[in-house]
Amino acid sequence: MAAVFQFPFAPVVGQTTRRRQQIRSSADRQALFSRIAPVYDDLNDVLSLGQHRIWKRMAVNWSGAKEGNNVLDLCCGSGDLAFLLSQKVGLNGEVTGLDFSREQLIVASKRQQLRAKPCYRNLKWVEGDAINLPYPDCYFDAITMGYGLRNVIDKYKAMKEVYRVLKPGSKASILDFNKSTDGFMTSIQGWMIDNIVVPVAAGYGLTEEYRYLKSSIQEFLTGEELEHLALESGFSSARHYEVGGGLMGNLVATR
Amino acid sequence: MVRASTVVEISRTLSEILVCPLSKQPLRVCEKSNSLISDAIGVSFPIIDGIPCLVPKDGKIIETPTDVDSLDTKQCT
Repeated sequence: MAAVFQFPFAPVVGQTTRRRQQIRSSADRQALFSRIAPVYDDLNDVLSLGQHRIWKRMAVNWSGAKEGNNVLDLCCGSGDLAFLLSQKVGLNGEVTGLDFSREQLIVASKRQQLRAKPCYRNLKWVEGDAINLPYPDCYFDAITMGYGLRNVIDKYKAMKEVYRVLKPGSKASILDFNKSTDGFMTSIQGWMIDNIVVPVAAGYGLTEEYRYLKSSIQEFLTGEELEHLALESGFSSARHYEVGGGLMGNLVATR
Repeated sequence: MVRASTVVEISRTLSEILVCPLSKQPLRVCEKSNSLISDAIGVSFPIIDGIPCLVPKDGKIIETPTDVDSLDTKQCT
Protein backbone atom coordinates (compact mmCIF):
# COMPACT_ATOMS: atom_id res chain seq x y z
CA MET A 1 0.00 0.00 0.00
CA ALA A 2 2.93 2.34 0.64
CA ALA A 3 3.59 2.42 -3.09
CA VAL A 4 0.18 4.03 -3.63
CA PHE A 5 1.36 7.12 -1.79
CA GLN A 6 4.55 7.75 -3.73
CA PHE A 7 3.71 10.79 -5.81
CA PRO A 8 5.95 11.27 -8.83
CA PHE A 9 4.60 14.75 -9.47
CA ALA A 10 4.87 17.76 -7.17
CA PRO A 11 1.59 19.48 -6.28
CA VAL A 12 0.71 22.30 -8.66
CA VAL A 13 1.54 25.68 -7.09
CA GLY A 14 -1.51 27.60 -5.92
CA GLN A 15 -3.90 24.63 -6.06
CA THR A 16 -4.18 24.25 -2.27
CA THR A 17 -5.43 27.82 -1.88
CA ARG A 18 -8.05 27.64 -4.62
CA ARG A 19 -11.60 27.75 -3.34
CA ARG A 20 -13.93 24.86 -4.12
CA GLN A 21 -15.27 25.50 -7.59
CA GLN A 22 -18.28 24.19 -9.41
CA ILE A 23 -17.58 22.01 -12.43
CA ARG A 24 -20.84 22.68 -14.21
CA SER A 25 -20.44 23.78 -17.79
CA SER A 26 -18.86 22.03 -20.74
CA ALA A 27 -16.04 24.59 -20.59
CA ASP A 28 -15.45 23.77 -16.90
CA ARG A 29 -15.21 20.06 -17.70
CA GLN A 30 -12.94 20.67 -20.68
CA ALA A 31 -10.64 22.72 -18.45
CA LEU A 32 -10.71 20.00 -15.78
CA PHE A 33 -9.65 17.28 -18.19
CA SER A 34 -6.95 19.52 -19.59
CA ARG A 35 -5.58 20.11 -16.06
CA ILE A 36 -5.46 16.42 -15.18
CA ALA A 37 -4.05 15.36 -18.57
CA PRO A 38 -0.41 15.09 -17.42
CA VAL A 39 -1.21 12.61 -14.64
CA TYR A 40 -4.45 11.05 -15.89
CA ASP A 41 -2.92 7.71 -16.89
CA ASP A 42 -0.90 7.36 -13.67
CA LEU A 43 -3.93 8.12 -11.53
CA ASN A 44 -6.12 5.64 -13.43
CA ASP A 45 -3.60 2.91 -12.66
CA VAL A 46 -3.16 3.89 -9.02
CA LEU A 47 -6.81 4.45 -8.22
CA SER A 48 -8.12 1.30 -9.87
CA LEU A 49 -5.06 -0.83 -9.00
CA GLY A 50 -4.71 -1.44 -12.71
CA GLN A 51 -8.24 -2.86 -13.04
CA HIS A 52 -9.30 -0.16 -15.52
CA ARG A 53 -7.24 -2.00 -18.14
CA ILE A 54 -9.46 -5.08 -17.77
CA TRP A 55 -12.68 -3.08 -17.95
CA LYS A 56 -11.46 -1.32 -21.09
CA ARG A 57 -10.62 -4.63 -22.79
CA MET A 58 -14.14 -5.79 -21.97
CA ALA A 59 -15.57 -2.59 -23.43
CA VAL A 60 -13.68 -3.16 -26.68
CA ASN A 61 -14.87 -6.77 -26.87
CA TRP A 62 -18.46 -5.68 -26.32
CA SER A 63 -18.18 -3.15 -29.15
CA GLY A 64 -17.88 -6.00 -31.66
CA ALA A 65 -14.96 -4.28 -33.39
CA LYS A 66 -13.00 -6.63 -35.64
CA GLU A 67 -10.18 -6.65 -38.14
CA GLY A 68 -10.59 -4.19 -40.98
CA ASN A 69 -13.29 -2.18 -39.23
CA ASN A 70 -13.59 1.62 -39.17
CA VAL A 71 -14.12 2.59 -35.51
CA LEU A 72 -14.42 5.60 -33.25
CA ASP A 73 -13.33 6.05 -29.65
CA LEU A 74 -15.38 8.98 -28.39
CA CYS A 75 -14.13 11.10 -25.47
CA CYS A 76 -10.86 9.24 -26.06
CA GLY A 77 -8.81 11.20 -23.53
CA SER A 78 -5.24 9.89 -23.53
CA GLY A 79 -6.25 7.05 -25.83
CA ASP A 80 -6.48 3.82 -23.82
CA LEU A 81 -9.48 2.48 -25.71
CA ALA A 82 -8.23 3.82 -29.05
CA PHE A 83 -4.96 1.88 -28.67
CA LEU A 84 -6.86 -1.32 -27.90
CA LEU A 85 -9.11 -0.74 -30.93
CA SER A 86 -6.06 -0.09 -33.08
CA GLN A 87 -4.71 -3.56 -32.30
CA LYS A 88 -8.14 -5.10 -32.82
CA VAL A 89 -8.84 -3.63 -36.30
CA GLY A 90 -5.27 -3.87 -37.58
CA LEU A 91 -3.65 -2.05 -40.47
CA ASN A 92 -6.65 -2.61 -42.77
CA GLY A 93 -8.87 -0.81 -40.30
CA GLU A 94 -9.09 2.79 -39.17
CA VAL A 95 -9.38 4.20 -35.67
CA THR A 96 -10.28 7.75 -34.73
CA GLY A 97 -9.89 9.06 -31.20
CA LEU A 98 -12.02 12.16 -30.64
CA ASP A 99 -11.92 14.38 -27.54
CA PHE A 100 -12.66 17.99 -26.62
CA SER A 101 -9.40 18.41 -24.70
CA ARG A 102 -6.37 19.17 -26.86
CA GLU A 103 -4.09 18.51 -23.89
CA GLN A 104 -5.42 14.95 -23.60
CA LEU A 105 -5.00 14.46 -27.36
CA ILE A 106 -1.40 15.65 -27.14
CA VAL A 107 -0.74 13.01 -24.46
CA ALA A 108 -2.42 10.41 -26.69
CA SER A 109 -0.36 11.44 -29.70
CA LYS A 110 2.89 11.27 -27.70
CA ARG A 111 1.99 7.80 -26.43
CA GLN A 112 1.37 6.76 -30.05
CA GLN A 113 4.84 7.99 -31.05
CA LEU A 114 6.58 6.49 -28.01
CA ARG A 115 5.05 3.04 -28.37
CA ALA A 116 5.56 3.06 -32.14
CA LYS A 117 3.67 -0.20 -32.79
CA PRO A 118 3.16 -0.71 -36.54
CA CYS A 119 -0.63 -1.06 -36.17
CA TYR A 120 -0.82 2.40 -34.60
CA ARG A 121 -0.46 3.88 -38.08
CA ASN A 122 -4.22 3.28 -38.37
CA LEU A 123 -4.89 5.75 -35.55
CA LYS A 124 -5.85 9.41 -35.96
CA TRP A 125 -6.76 12.06 -33.39
CA VAL A 126 -9.48 14.70 -33.75
CA GLU A 127 -10.38 17.54 -31.42
CA GLY A 128 -14.14 17.67 -31.43
CA ASP A 129 -17.41 17.82 -29.56
CA ALA A 130 -19.38 14.67 -28.69
CA ILE A 131 -22.68 16.44 -29.37
CA ASN A 132 -21.63 17.65 -32.83
CA LEU A 133 -19.65 14.83 -34.44
CA PRO A 134 -17.80 15.70 -37.67
CA TYR A 135 -18.74 12.47 -39.44
CA PRO A 136 -21.40 11.54 -41.98
CA ASP A 137 -24.33 9.27 -41.18
CA CYS A 138 -23.79 5.52 -40.90
CA TYR A 139 -20.00 5.75 -40.98
CA PHE A 140 -18.55 3.58 -38.16
CA ASP A 141 -18.56 -0.18 -37.60
CA ALA A 142 -18.21 0.28 -33.83
CA ILE A 143 -17.96 3.05 -31.27
CA THR A 144 -16.50 2.99 -27.77
CA MET A 145 -16.74 5.59 -25.06
CA GLY A 146 -14.84 5.21 -21.80
CA TYR A 147 -15.61 7.44 -18.84
CA GLY A 148 -16.94 10.06 -21.22
CA LEU A 149 -20.74 10.03 -21.34
CA ARG A 150 -20.98 10.97 -17.64
CA ASN A 151 -19.05 14.16 -18.40
CA VAL A 152 -21.20 15.24 -21.37
CA ILE A 153 -23.78 17.86 -20.39
CA ASP A 154 -26.36 16.85 -23.03
CA LYS A 155 -26.24 13.06 -22.91
CA TYR A 156 -29.30 12.61 -25.12
CA LYS A 157 -27.74 14.69 -27.88
CA ALA A 158 -24.51 12.71 -27.58
CA MET A 159 -26.38 9.39 -27.84
CA LYS A 160 -28.27 10.70 -30.88
CA GLU A 161 -24.97 11.57 -32.52
CA VAL A 162 -23.49 8.15 -31.67
CA TYR A 163 -26.57 6.56 -33.23
CA ARG A 164 -26.35 8.76 -36.32
CA VAL A 165 -22.75 7.95 -37.18
CA LEU A 166 -23.05 4.18 -36.50
CA LYS A 167 -23.76 1.79 -39.35
CA PRO A 168 -27.06 -0.09 -38.97
CA GLY A 169 -26.55 -3.24 -36.91
CA SER A 170 -23.38 -1.92 -35.30
CA LYS A 171 -22.77 -1.34 -31.61
CA ALA A 172 -21.76 1.38 -29.19
CA SER A 173 -19.97 0.18 -26.05
CA ILE A 174 -20.06 2.78 -23.29
CA LEU A 175 -18.04 2.14 -20.12
CA ASP A 176 -18.36 4.31 -17.06
CA PHE A 177 -18.87 4.36 -13.32
CA ASN A 178 -22.03 2.54 -12.31
CA LYS A 179 -24.66 4.65 -10.61
CA SER A 180 -26.05 1.89 -8.48
CA THR A 181 -29.62 1.57 -7.23
CA ASP A 182 -28.20 -0.45 -4.33
CA GLY A 183 -27.75 1.85 -1.33
CA PHE A 184 -24.90 -0.24 0.08
CA MET A 185 -22.94 -0.16 -3.20
CA THR A 186 -23.49 3.60 -3.47
CA SER A 187 -22.14 4.04 0.07
CA ILE A 188 -19.06 1.93 -0.70
CA GLN A 189 -18.42 3.88 -3.89
CA GLY A 190 -18.80 7.22 -2.09
CA TRP A 191 -16.54 6.09 0.77
CA MET A 192 -13.83 5.01 -1.69
CA ILE A 193 -13.93 8.35 -3.47
CA ASP A 194 -13.82 10.36 -0.25
CA ASN A 195 -11.18 8.28 1.51
CA ILE A 196 -8.99 6.91 -1.26
CA VAL A 197 -9.50 8.73 -4.56
CA VAL A 198 -9.52 12.31 -3.33
CA PRO A 199 -6.59 11.95 -0.89
CA VAL A 200 -4.48 10.27 -3.59
CA ALA A 201 -5.45 12.96 -6.12
CA ALA A 202 -4.57 15.59 -3.50
CA GLY A 203 -1.00 14.34 -3.70
CA TYR A 204 -1.00 15.42 -7.33
CA GLY A 205 -2.59 18.78 -6.48
CA LEU A 206 -5.93 17.72 -8.00
CA THR A 207 -8.26 17.57 -4.99
CA GLU A 208 -11.18 19.49 -6.48
CA GLU A 209 -10.88 17.82 -9.86
CA TYR A 210 -11.38 14.38 -8.32
CA ARG A 211 -14.03 15.57 -5.86
CA TYR A 212 -16.01 16.30 -9.03
CA LEU A 213 -16.11 12.54 -9.60
CA LYS A 214 -18.56 11.92 -6.75
CA SER A 215 -21.10 14.53 -7.84
CA SER A 216 -20.78 13.49 -11.47
CA ILE A 217 -21.71 9.90 -10.52
CA GLN A 218 -24.62 11.16 -8.40
CA GLU A 219 -25.88 13.13 -11.41
CA PHE A 220 -25.29 10.27 -13.84
CA LEU A 221 -27.90 7.77 -14.99
CA THR A 222 -28.50 4.30 -13.58
CA GLY A 223 -28.03 1.28 -15.81
CA GLU A 224 -31.74 1.08 -16.48
CA GLU A 225 -31.93 4.80 -17.27
CA LEU A 226 -29.01 4.43 -19.68
CA GLU A 227 -30.80 1.60 -21.46
CA HIS A 228 -33.88 3.83 -21.80
CA LEU A 229 -31.75 6.72 -23.05
CA ALA A 230 -30.28 4.51 -25.76
CA LEU A 231 -33.70 3.26 -26.86
CA GLU A 232 -35.06 6.83 -26.90
CA SER A 233 -32.08 7.82 -29.04
CA GLY A 234 -33.11 5.29 -31.65
CA PHE A 235 -31.07 2.21 -30.80
CA SER A 236 -32.89 -1.06 -31.48
CA SER A 237 -31.58 -2.70 -28.33
CA ALA A 238 -29.62 -1.70 -25.23
CA ARG A 239 -28.22 -3.65 -22.30
CA HIS A 240 -26.24 -2.40 -19.29
CA TYR A 241 -23.75 -4.78 -17.66
CA GLU A 242 -22.25 -4.21 -14.21
CA VAL A 243 -18.53 -4.93 -13.96
CA GLY A 244 -15.83 -4.41 -11.36
CA GLY A 245 -18.00 -5.75 -8.60
CA GLY A 246 -20.75 -3.26 -9.47
CA LEU A 247 -18.50 -0.20 -9.27
CA MET A 248 -18.45 0.12 -13.04
CA GLY A 249 -20.99 -0.44 -15.78
CA ASN A 250 -20.91 -0.98 -19.54
CA LEU A 251 -23.82 -0.04 -21.79
CA VAL A 252 -24.00 -1.96 -25.05
CA ALA A 253 -26.40 -0.38 -27.54
CA THR A 254 -27.11 -1.74 -31.01
CA ARG A 255 -28.32 0.49 -33.85
CA MET B 1 9.22 17.89 -37.45
CA VAL B 2 6.46 17.35 -39.99
CA ARG B 3 7.37 18.23 -43.58
CA ALA B 4 5.06 20.58 -45.48
CA SER B 5 4.12 17.85 -47.98
CA THR B 6 3.18 15.52 -45.12
CA VAL B 7 0.97 18.25 -43.63
CA VAL B 8 -0.83 18.57 -46.97
CA GLU B 9 -1.22 14.80 -47.19
CA ILE B 10 -2.67 14.61 -43.68
CA SER B 11 -5.03 17.49 -44.46
CA ARG B 12 -6.32 15.91 -47.68
CA THR B 13 -6.94 12.57 -45.98
CA LEU B 14 -8.81 14.30 -43.19
CA SER B 15 -10.99 16.30 -45.60
CA GLU B 16 -12.02 13.06 -47.28
CA ILE B 17 -13.24 11.63 -43.98
CA LEU B 18 -14.46 14.53 -41.88
CA VAL B 19 -17.56 16.67 -42.37
CA CYS B 20 -18.63 19.98 -40.88
CA PRO B 21 -19.71 19.27 -37.28
CA LEU B 22 -22.73 21.56 -37.64
CA SER B 23 -23.99 21.21 -41.21
CA LYS B 24 -22.62 17.66 -41.74
CA GLN B 25 -21.61 18.79 -45.24
CA PRO B 26 -18.18 18.03 -46.80
CA LEU B 27 -15.12 20.05 -45.86
CA ARG B 28 -12.35 21.24 -48.15
CA VAL B 29 -8.70 21.77 -47.37
CA CYS B 30 -7.10 25.19 -47.48
CA GLU B 31 -3.38 24.56 -47.72
CA LYS B 32 -2.36 28.15 -47.18
CA SER B 33 -4.09 28.51 -43.82
CA ASN B 34 -3.80 24.77 -43.02
CA SER B 35 -7.47 24.57 -42.19
CA LEU B 36 -10.63 22.75 -43.17
CA ILE B 37 -13.32 24.96 -44.69
CA SER B 38 -17.03 24.44 -44.35
CA ASP B 39 -18.57 26.30 -47.28
CA ALA B 40 -22.04 25.36 -46.01
CA ILE B 41 -21.74 27.63 -42.99
CA GLY B 42 -18.76 29.78 -43.98
CA VAL B 43 -16.44 28.65 -41.18
CA SER B 44 -12.83 27.50 -41.15
CA PHE B 45 -11.49 24.96 -38.67
CA PRO B 46 -7.75 24.90 -37.95
CA ILE B 47 -5.44 21.89 -38.16
CA ILE B 48 -2.81 22.21 -35.43
CA ASP B 49 0.15 19.82 -35.31
CA GLY B 50 -1.76 17.42 -37.53
CA ILE B 51 -4.81 17.33 -35.23
CA PRO B 52 -7.88 19.03 -36.73
CA CYS B 53 -9.93 21.13 -34.35
CA LEU B 54 -13.60 20.61 -35.21
CA VAL B 55 -15.16 21.93 -32.03
CA PRO B 56 -17.88 24.28 -33.33
CA LYS B 57 -17.00 27.15 -30.99
CA ASP B 58 -13.39 27.08 -32.20
CA GLY B 59 -14.35 27.62 -35.85
CA LYS B 60 -13.52 30.97 -37.44
CA ILE B 61 -16.28 32.66 -39.39
CA ILE B 62 -15.26 33.63 -42.91
CA GLU B 63 -17.00 36.98 -42.98
CA THR B 64 -15.55 39.27 -45.60
CA PRO B 65 -14.09 38.99 -49.10
CA THR B 66 -10.77 39.91 -47.45
CA ASP B 67 -11.07 36.83 -45.25
CA VAL B 68 -11.85 34.75 -48.33
CA ASP B 69 -8.90 36.25 -50.25
CA SER B 70 -6.57 35.63 -47.31
CA LEU B 71 -7.55 31.97 -47.45
CA ASP B 72 -6.46 32.05 -51.09
CA THR B 73 -9.38 30.14 -52.51
CA LYS B 74 -7.49 29.31 -55.69
CA GLN B 75 -5.29 27.04 -53.61
CA CYS B 76 -8.23 25.63 -51.66
CA THR B 77 -9.46 22.66 -53.61
